[in-house]
Amino acid sequence: MNKMSRRTMIGSAGAAVASTLRPRKAKAAGTVTIWWNQGFYQAEDQALKDLVAEWEKATGNKVELSFLPVADVTAKIVSGMTMGDVPDLVYSDTGQNLIVPQAAWNDKLVDVSDVVATQQGEFLQAALDSARFHNNVTKKRDFYGVPVKGATLMEEVWRPMIEEAGYKDADIPKTQDAYFDFFQEVQKKLRAKGKRIYGLGYSMATKEADSGNLFHAFLEAYGGDGIVTLDGKLHADDPKVRQAAITALERLTGPFKAGFVPPGAINWGDVDNNNAFYAKQIVMTPNATISIAVAQMDKKDQYFKEIITQGVPNGNDGAPVASLLGVPLCFIIKGAKNVDGAKDFLKYFIQPSRLNNYLKQARGRWTPVMPSLIKSDPWWLDSADPHRPVAVRQALITPTVPWFQIRNPAYAEVNATQVWAQAEANITQHGMSAEKAADDALKQIKTIFEKYPVG
Amino acid sequence: MSAGHHVMRRRLDQTGAIALGLGLVIWTILPLYNMVMISLEAKEDVFASNIMPQAPTLDAFRTVFDEGFWLLANFWHQMGNSFFIGVAVTVIVLTIGSLTSFAIGRMRIRYGWLLSNAALTTYVIPASFLAIPFYGIMKRYGLDNNAWALIAAEVTFATPYAIFIFTQYGGSIPRELDEAARIDGASPPRIYWNIYLPLMAPALVAIGTYALLLSWNEYLYAFLLLSSDSTLTVPPGLGKFLNSDEAPWNYLMAAAIIYAIPPVAIYYTFRKHMSGGLTAGGVKG
Repeated sequence: MNKMSRRTMIGSAGAAVASTLRPRKAKAAGTVTIWWNQGFYQAEDQALKDLVAEWEKATGNKVELSFLPVADVTAKIVSGMTMGDVPDLVYSDTGQNLIVPQAAWNDKLVDVSDVVATQQGEFLQAALDSARFHNNVTKKRDFYGVPVKGATLMEEVWRPMIEEAGYKDADIPKTQDAYFDFFQEVQKKLRAKGKRIYGLGYSMATKEADSGNLFHAFLEAYGGDGIVTLDGKLHADDPKVRQAAITALERLTGPFKAGFVPPGAINWGDVDNNNAFYAKQIVMTPNATISIAVAQMDKKDQYFKEIITQGVPNGNDGAPVASLLGVPLCFIIKGAKNVDGAKDFLKYFIQPSRLNNYLKQARGRWTPVMPSLIKSDPWWLDSADPHRPVAVRQALITPTVPWFQIRNPAYAEVNATQVWAQAEANITQHGMSAEKAADDALKQIKTIFEKYPVG
Repeated sequence: MSAGHHVMRRRLDQTGAIALGLGLVIWTILPLYNMVMISLEAKEDVFASNIMPQAPTLDAFRTVFDEGFWLLANFWHQMGNSFFIGVAVTVIVLTIGSLTSFAIGRMRIRYGWLLSNAALTTYVIPASFLAIPFYGIMKRYGLDNNAWALIAAEVTFATPYAIFIFTQYGGSIPRELDEAARIDGASPPRIYWNIYLPLMAPALVAIGTYALLLSWNEYLYAFLLLSSDSTLTVPPGLGKFLNSDEAPWNYLMAAAIIYAIPPVAIYYTFRKHMSGGLTAGGVKG
């Protein structure tokens, strides 16, 4: 009796556990699961929620929408792709750098050419180039992402500091070397007045994205865009590329060694230059978007009078330098259960007026990637705003080029392994020459590219 | 060695010890002090290099209580989720751990020692390495975005340690107590409930605190296994603050301080049992 009851008990417990561990229920037809990068502002998330509600009403479909911080989206996507259980649609601010290039290369993404085609004439060419990736299985370059918005590197400057140093806005030089030298002079003048302020506030860290963003802007400025061409081929042996890399390294590390960059910048995360800027420890800082200014929009004095937003300087010859255009993408991972629903939503979402409304809710932190939007909506180039039109002009009017990881996924690994930031560290921390550091970095890049041959 | 020299040396030793102790105290307290200071500052003063808040304000705490900032809109709901998961993990870990150690140590099951030692070997693999397999398992069994997925994961990580500690601690409880009870006609469940558990109180409190803190502070598994606002716990909820270049640190610190209060309160409530457990029972001659 005793044994029987024990067996009965174990059996019941087993049945209970088994019933708990039931197979996953099928999702209701017409439900689209979306993982979306949480916005910087409540209005940004609300704009998407409203859009989703409109689409649900118009189509009768249902959406399961989750907002996730940017780092969490990446981790969850990697987990989902590994286990073969993915949402129907993903948007991440960093997906185009961290996930899409390799996933497209490995044929793990759904071709979304049909979605892009619905608005193909509207998109900026660099945005279209930024959404096409090489697939190593089909041996073709296709659209594996739908462009949503864009951003280029901007420079933020404290006007009161340059005025205290005896300068005006117009005194800030327009060309690459003179521009960055100017802030060293500002520092000297401020130090002479007893202010412990650094002229240049850029990251030299071997982590996160900021140090790489600035290095590559310097590489462009010194003529190194050809390191990877649009066909995905590496040109590490091109003397012009080598010289551009050497100059970029010298021009970034020289001011650091001379004390014009905070010593802590070798360990800055992406948020730390913003914090140092807000704490008024630095005169200027580069940033991937105009978020530094936009975050202070409610403080009228700071937004309208004290913070200057500038685009990247011209080359030393005075000609404009093409900016690397970052284009965050929506993408669909193979294995998604409702690809048709996801595509249908995307076609609805990227209609110019809807996309425009969504982007405006982000207060212009991101620029549109459809030139027609800045022509049809005066808000984008409103001259009363000292920041937004600067960013919009740089992204949509002056020349832009796609990032190197779009051209070949090998470069995503170059960025992830911080090859160039490590080269900077070799110079600043280990006394290596810029020539040797550049050669070592280019050699390492060649090794990485061997894993990603393009036809 | 003269007496004066000896006294001098002793004073030097004492001064050194005090200086070292003071250094350690400052090192330990500084982050907490910084948290409190930031929580009492206005948003724009957070990055000013002040040692004391210039104009202390409780606004950040008020905002957290009122859920008056969009990233805090579900703070109390998330607190409830954390509490439910923390309590569930604690209860399950204590139940499994104490029953297992009782079976191994008091009922003398064959190869019981193997179980308690083998359980510990699970710690050879770091918990973060198991995140993706856990994610897959929970998804497969329909537990995605479900609090029980996180509870199951946390119980898995806390239980081996609980079994090991309970088995070791249980070994110090005299077996004569069990034998005396058995002679008086007590069944194993009764011995477990009336004798074993009360004498295990110090270990139960220690492991209970460990299990509670483990689940209370869990971030990786929480964001991986939970997605929606209705299921999220506080740590990944607060993690959302760090999505932006410009986080309102004063709100974040105020929320973190409020979140730290329940486990501290629970620990101090039960702390007296840590030393009282062993003397609570005994065999009188």
